[in-house]
Amino acid sequence: MKSDNRLALLNRVIFILSLAGILMAAYVLQGWLRHSSILCLTGGGCTLVQKNHLSYPFGIPVPSIGLVGYTILTILAFLRTTSNNKNLLKGILGMATFGICFVTWFTYTEIFLIKGICMWCAISAVNMFVIFGLTIASLRLQKNTV
Amino acid sequence: MKLTSESKILLAIVGITILVIAIAAVVLTKPAPTLTKADLVTKTAYTRGNPQAKAYLVEFSDFQCPACLAMKPTVDAVVKANENKLLFVYRNFPLDQHPFSHQSASAAEAAGRQGKYWEMYDLLFANQDKFSDALFPQLADQLKLDKTKFTVDMNDPAIANKIQDDITAGNQFGVDATPTFFLNGKKLTINSYDDLKTAVAQAVNQ
Repeated sequence: MKSDNRLALLNRVIFILSLAGILMAAYVLQGWLRHSSILCLTGGGCTLVQKNHLSYPFGIPVPSIGLVGYTILTILAFLRTTSNNKNLLKGILGMATFGICFVTWFTYTEIFLIKGICMWCAISAVNMFVIFGLTIASLRLQKNTV
Repeated sequence: MKLTSESKILLAIVGITILVIAIAAVVLTKPAPTLTKADLVTKTAYTRGNPQAKAYLVEFSDFQCPACLAMKPTVDAVVKANENKLLFVYRNFPLDQHPFSHQSASAAEAAGRQGKYWEMYDLLFANQDKFSDALFPQLADQLKLDKTKFTVDMNDPAIANKIQDDITAGNQFGVDATPTFFLNGKKLTINSYDDLKTAVAQAVNQ
C-alpha cells in the first residue's frame, strides 16, 4: 500500500514536470515562430540559439520536438492513473530515455557549436533528467511491489 | 476510461495551469506603451549621429554579450548610413552572468570622461573574448588615456550609479535581453540583422 502511494506520488511529480515542460516548450516555440523576444537570463544566448541553423534539425525547431515529447509524457503519466497496465511506465521510460539523449545532444551543440546557452533549453534539460530519474525510481518500486 | 481520484487530481492540475496561462496571456499581451524621448535619451548617455534628428535609436547593451557583438557591425552600418538623420544612443545593460560586464561598462564610461567613449566602445567589443582585470588598463594605454584618471574613474561611484540607473530604466522599459533596441520610443522585435536596417530606414524617411 505504501509502495502504491509512493508510485502514485512519483507519477504525479512526473506529470507535473512534464506539464511544466510543455509550458516551457510552448513559450519558447511561440517566441521562435513569432520571431518575438523571450525572457532570457543567459544574455543573448536564447537569441544566438534561436538564430542558429543547428537548432532546426531536419528543419524542425527544437522546442517543437520538446513539446511533442513532453505531451506524450504527460498523456502517459495521466493514463497510468486510469489503468494498471505496466507498459505505460515502460513507455514513459522510453520517451524519457529519448529525451535525455536529445537534451544531451542539444546541450553539447549549444556549448560547443553554437557557443551560446538558452536558459529555457538548460532548464528543460535538467527537467528531462529529473523525469528520467523518477521513472527509474518508479520502475524499481514497481518491481518490488510485484 | 475509468477516472480514479488521482486522475481527477491531475485533471485539476491541468485546469489550474490553463487558468494561470489564460490570465498571464491577458496580462502579457497588453501592448507596450510608447516611451518618450526624455525617458530613453538621458542627458548623460553617450550618443552618435545627429542630436537634432527626429529619429532616435536607443540600444540597451552589454559589452560582454555575444549577441551584442554579433549585432555591432549592423548597428555601426546603420548609424553611419544615417548619421544626419538618426540619433543613436548607447545605454548600459550589463548582465550579472557576465563576469566583466559591469567592469567593461565602467571602462567605457571612464574613457568617455576623457572624450574617448566611442573609441573604447569599439575596442571593448573587439576584445570581448579577452576580458580580464588586466585588459582594461591596456585598452586605456592603447587609446593614450591618462591611465591614473582612467583607473580612478572606473571605480568612481558616480559611474557605478549611472550604470545602475541605466539598468533600472531598462528593467522599467521591459528590457529582458541584450541587445534590446527602441526606435522612436517603440521596442523593436529584431529577427534578423536586416530588420534593424529596415526599421531605421522607414523611421528616417518618415
